[in-house]
Amino acid sequence: MSLNKPILFAVFAMAISSASFAQLEELTPEEQAYRDSIQALNEDNAAIASSQEAYNRGVELFGQEKYGAAIQEFKKSIDFDPKFTAAYYNKGVAENKAKKHKDAVKTLSTLIELKGDYSKAFFQRGLGYQGLNEYAKAEEDYEKSIKLDPTNPKAYYNFGTLRFLQKDYEGAANYFSKTIELDKENVNAYNDRGSSYRMMGKYAQAISDYEAAIAKNPNLAFVLNNLGTTKSKTKDYKGALAAFNRAISIDANFHLAYNNRGVVQMNQGRLDDAEKDFKKALSIKSDYATAESNLSAIYFKKKEYKKALEHANKAVKMDKSNSAAYVNRANAKEMTRDMIGACEDWLKAKELGSEAGKKYYAENCAN
Amino acid sequence: MKYIVTIITLTFGLMTFAQNVEFKSSNFKDDKDGYKAAVDAIKAGDEFFTLGNEAVFAVQSPGMNFGLALREYEKAQKFNPDNAELNYKIGVCHANSSDQEKCIPFLKKAYKLDPECDPFLNYYYGFALQLDGDFSAAKKAYDAFANSYKKADDFSKFVSKRKKECQIATNAVASPVRAWVDNVKELNTPQNEYGPSVSTDGAELILTSNRPNGHTPNELGGYDDDIYISSLSNGKWSKPKAIDGPVNSESDDVSNNLSYDGTKLLMHRVVDGQCDIFESELKGADWTAPEKLASSISSSRANERFASYSADGWSIYFNRDNANRSNGYEVMYSSMQSKIQKNYMAAQMISSINSKFNEGPIYVHLDGETMYIASEGDGSLGGYDIFVSENINGTWSEPKNLGYPINTQYDDFFFSATANGKYAYIASNRAGGEGGYDIYKVTFWGTEKEPVTATEDYLLASIVNPIADNSIEESVTVKKKSFTVFKGITIDAISRKPVEAEIEITDNTSGKVIETFTTNSATGKFIITLASGKNYGIAVKAEGYLFHSENFDIPKGSSDNLVNKVIELKNIKIGSKIALRNIFFDTGKSILRSESNAELDRLVKLMKDVPNLKVEISGHTDNTGSAKLNEQLSQDRAEAVVSYLTKKGIAASRMTAKGYGPNAPIASNATADGRQQNRRTEFEITGN
Repeated sequence: MSLNKPILFAVFAMAISSASFAQLEELTPEEQAYRDSIQALNEDNAAIASSQEAYNRGVELFGQEKYGAAIQEFKKSIDFDPKFTAAYYNKGVAENKAKKHKDAVKTLSTLIELKGDYSKAFFQRGLGYQGLNEYAKAEEDYEKSIKLDPTNPKAYYNFGTLRFLQKDYEGAANYFSKTIELDKENVNAYNDRGSSYRMMGKYAQAISDYEAAIAKNPNLAFVLNNLGTTKSKTKDYKGALAAFNRAISIDANFHLAYNNRGVVQMNQGRLDDAEKDFKKALSIKSDYATAESNLSAIYFKKKEYKKALEHANKAVKMDKSNSAAYVNRANAKEMTRDMIGACEDWLKAKELGSEAGKKYYAENCAN
Repeated sequence: MKYIVTIITLTFGLMTFAQNVEFKSSNFKDDKDGYKAAVDAIKAGDEFFTLGNEAVFAVQSPGMNFGLALREYEKAQKFNPDNAELNYKIGVCHANSSDQEKCIPFLKKAYKLDPECDPFLNYYYGFALQLDGDFSAAKKAYDAFANSYKKADDFSKFVSKRKKECQIATNAVASPVRAWVDNVKELNTPQNEYGPSVSTDGAELILTSNRPNGHTPNELGGYDDDIYISSLSNGKWSKPKAIDGPVNSESDDVSNNLSYDGTKLLMHRVVDGQCDIFESELKGADWTAPEKLASSISSSRANERFASYSADGWSIYFNRDNANRSNGYEVMYSSMQSKIQKNYMAAQMISSINSKFNEGPIYVHLDGETMYIASEGDGSLGGYDIFVSENINGTWSEPKNLGYPINTQYDDFFFSATANGKYAYIASNRAGGEGGYDIYKVTFWGTEKEPVTATEDYLLASIVNPIADNSIEESVTVKKKSFTVFKGITIDAISRKPVEAEIEITDNTSGKVIETFTTNSATGKFIITLASGKNYGIAVKAEGYLFHSENFDIPKGSSDNLVNKVIELKNIKIGSKIALRNIFFDTGKSILRSESNAELDRLVKLMKDVPNLKVEISGHTDNTGSAKLNEQLSQDRAEAVVSYLTKKGIAASRMTAKGYGPNAPIASNATADGRQQNRRTEFEITGN
């Protein structure tokens, strides 16, 4: 009986319906046109709804850091509603996050065509160009973004980063200063301005900025590391060691800090301590070519030339563009009586821009 | 048991302690001839031995004397190898040869057989120990000799020098210089190879060797020195080839120095015991006949050897022995006034670099500021060593020993460097060679190389924490809008005629009135759009009609986006008459045809919907035929309708039936159409 109930209801409802809404006559052409327009509107609305549903799924997936899946949903959203600018923007951001910078640039370019005053779109496309190492285009976009929204510290920051990467350290420092002006708590901007000063040889200002960054966030191991290497440059080895020690206490697996502390120890003649640090760095990051090369340097200093050669070989294998590793391998080869091999390595180091490689090659290999 | 062990040990001790076997006839009773030949050989050797020693004392070359002595001594040695004195003499002969290493076992044996076999044994024993690298023991032996040697002659200066050499060698070996010294085996033979001179590009090497050369050997079977050339290919030197042409002669021809451009060669040649410096030039592929240099250099009064060009080519440095002096060969130089005339001026001695002992081969570096000189003088580790002197403000500095392992306790001399100074070639008779003097390659390490260390930073924070604007646009509320066309018409429920009505549409979910409009007065039609998926209320008002209200659903997502609604309005105005056009009778009869039922049922519904409604049902005909019959027929038909309604539950009291026949036409009976209109059933509202 209970099974029959819904059936009876359906029949009744149909009867009512047919009784109430019986079609009396065919639609006139005008009415048909009107109905068609509403049908088209309904189809448009359905597409927008589907677009919004896909968009919302994309937002959720982005939040879960599933950028590939998010990109697919944003793409669906755009397919349903090609005028949905937010979907383009989010797709561009997700593509940048997924390191698909070329796709991001394409998506955001379409968005900018749709909405030319979308400041954030310029910023994101700038990021895309930056990822493609097209710094000039990235700069243009950051400039445009800044023009559209002069209060966005991130655009200044990224512009500064680009200037830094292009070795315009003074320009970089200026942009980082502007970032700090807009966002006084931006420790990254302090660090990066410090690095700009450092590259200009203004070590005191660099140290001041690094310390400002640390004052705002004492747990930034990489800033302490930068502070340590900068203090090393000013021969303040004690200060450098203190900075590296702090960096390591914050991040016990910070391989750079071990490596850099090792270099300071080595400069101070504590070869065994330096050796331990380089080994520690390698235990954290086994493919760390710089530490392998430095370990080779230690063994060279200890006149353990075979070991020096062994570690320099590893370093070169890990990083074929590591000029220091080539110099160290050449030095070890010379002392293990492979002069031809040594000259090949010094030459390679020279070609990679190493001053030591250039010097040693000239002194030892030309007749 | 203990005593037995002691006895056995003593026995072995006595057995291993060889005894000195004197050359006494009593010792060789069984071979008197052999004994005599041995003694004769020793006597013959002694003559040369004495001459050799005299030359050594005079800081001069012993020539072949020790070699000739050795040839004799070796005959006696075969007969009696255990004579201390003979072993000593053989050792001395070797010590004064180019194969000094060979002296070591003989002198050690002599010392072992009889430490007092010769007054000079301690000296030469010390020398053997020195060559063997046991500098401490060597020094003790020299001390022992010094304590026993009481003659007031110049020999003490040799002893003193040897002791200094041991001290210097001890220090030098403890602090080797940064260089490797490798025997260039492909250039060397068991004979002597020396006098290396490398071209500045390091590709060719001139050297001297007394290897068998097809010339007539001397009485010892040795050959004269000739000059050879070798080329470097793939890091290996080719087998040396004697320079073709007149450079080499039957005499000793010794390479001294190749000019920096490789087109001139300084050499010395020994003719009838006179040693002079010659020069040969490269013309095309051939070297010219060597020409003796001007007498200011190659004098007839002295021997000259080991010449070297100055860096600018205007001077020649060379060795000259001076009979009036006891310092052996000394370094001289002579400069010319014209390179065309080659008019070398009187040679000058360079006192700042000369020692009390022999100076040897000279090499002036391309920089013109550095001179390498071999010397047996103070500061040597033993024999000739190579020293370096710097030209400071026109004065050559005190020579400085190049250090171990370039120099050893053996003879180390000649020095010829490649242009960058990384490599040099020297000659040495050090232990472990191929025999005699050999060519060695020196590889300088240079100043200690600094390994390159690298620090690494994340200079840009964005490397650690990439600065991207990760904020994306927020999610949106999905609006699923769908519309349905709502088409309708308002008509009189009975007459089906259009009625102008006011319509109000209410969204029942929100209770809000969403549309208000009036239907078309002529057609009663309306057409609007409503959002789908909702329940709506519709209220219809028209003057004289009962208020109409209902609710309806517009389904969501309907593919058929059209709702077509007919709204039937019920007339309730007293006096209004409505023709019932859809009531049909057979002609001349009052029986309702079934096609009339729909119209009649609408009338039933109206009567039921409006319970107070009272109506008159009237029948009408045209004027065709009898009026009386028409009136009766119309009456019958009106009653038939009332009867139908009554049967359908409508109280008879609410209805009256009246036949008007042709008396109440609504159109002209003159026409068929008029007559058609006049034939009708009507109902009139008579009360409500």
